[in-house]
Order: sequence, then C-alpha cells, then structure tokens
Amino acid sequence: MNAWLQAGAVLTTGLGLVAATAAWHLTRAVRGGLAVLLNFLTAAGLLRLASEPSWDSIILAAAVIALRKLLGASLHQSSAKRTTHGGARPLSPGR
Amino acid sequence: MTLSAEVLPESTLRDAIGLLVRLVESAGALIIFIGAVWAFAQFVRAGMRGRGKVAGFNRIRLSLGRFLVLGLEFQLAGDVLRTAVAPSFAEIGQLAAIAAIRTALNYFLGREIAQERAEIERSETTPPLGAKGLPT
Repeated sequence: MNAWLQAGAVLTTGLGLVAATAAWHLTRAVRGGLAVLLNFLTAAGLLRLASEPSWDSIILAAAVIALRKLLGASLHQSSAKRTTHGGARPLSPGR
Repeated sequence: MTLSAEVLPESTLRDAIGLLVRLVESAGALIIFIGAVWAFAQFVRAGMRGRGKVAGFNRIRLSLGRFLVLGLEFQLAGDVLRTAVAPSFAEIGQLAAIAAIRTALNYFLGREIAQERAEIERSETTPPLGAKGLPT
C-alpha cells in the first residue's frame, strides 16, 4: 500500500503543477495559481502521511503544512491590503 | 482476565484493528486522491474554456477543500482506532504528532472553507460593478 500512496502523492504533486498553471491562466493572477498549488501540495502531504509513518515523513508533512499556512496568510494579507487601499489592479479578461 | 483472553485474544484484537485502520485510512487517502483528480480536471477544463474568467475558480477550490477535509476526517478516525493498540512510547509519540498535524489542518481547512463560502455568497449578493478580481 505504501508504494501506491507514494505514487499517488507524486501524481498529485504533478497534477497540482498543471492545475496551478491552469488556475493562473484562468485568473491571470499569480496568487490564484499559488493557492491552488499549495492545496495540491497539502493533498500530496496527506497521502504521504497516510503511508507507513516515520519521523521524517511527519516532519516533512508538518513543514509543508506550515509553509502552506505561512504563504496562504501572506497572500491573504496582501490581497486584503490591496482591497482596502484600493490599489488593486483590476483583472480584465483580455489580459 | 482469563475469560477475556479466551474470548478475544490480544493478537486477534490487534489484527482486527490493524485491518480496520488500513481500511479507514485507505478510504481517506482515496477520497483525497479523487478530490485532487477531480479538481485537476475542473481547473484544466475551466482554464481551457477562457482567460480571465474567475467565477468558477473559488467554487473548484472550495470543493477541493471539502474533499481534503472529508479525507482528513477518515484519517483521524484511523488515528482514533490506532490508539486502541499502541504498544510502545515511540508509536504513541508518532501517533500524537500525526493526529496533531491532521487536527490542526482540519481546523485551518474548515476556516478557509467558511471564508471562501462567505466570499462566494458575498459576490453573489453584491452587484459586480465591473470588478472581476480574485476575491481571496
């Protein structure tokens, strides 16, 4: 089962890279793509954590999740700052 | 004590719980994987459909978050089952660390889902006024 879970985690990471590109293409904003990539990386980390637990995999999963929270918080903060200061560049469909 | 040992030997209990843990954790992992594949297909389809259209973007992220939370619930159930048989302190320590990570992630994902749902509802109720920016 471990091999399946490891393969699933690698596949999820690959899917996340493609989906993040698609999300960036869709929203024309880097933070949109980054948020999607972080979601997929979390999913991959959870799959890896479901296989035979070891301290290495636990530390790796915790690091990915902490990084995800840190980046997510900074993305949210920057978007909130843009919204409150009105400095957001409007996303037009043509760009 | 003797009666319990005869009716349900510890090795049988350990095997049964091991099987249940595998089943429940596999179900959780499968849900997470299916959610990732589904979200991938939706993002690629939406990305190919058109540039700058962000209407469905948050909905897809919300659905992916729901899949992750559901999978996490299953994995937490597996952790609870595992506490029934944890023979060594090393195993208990690992179990505690994994359960802590999963519980924290479950909490944060739940908060994110609530935030995104509120933003979707807000964008549906307020007129767009030409602003098509990413709400998050």
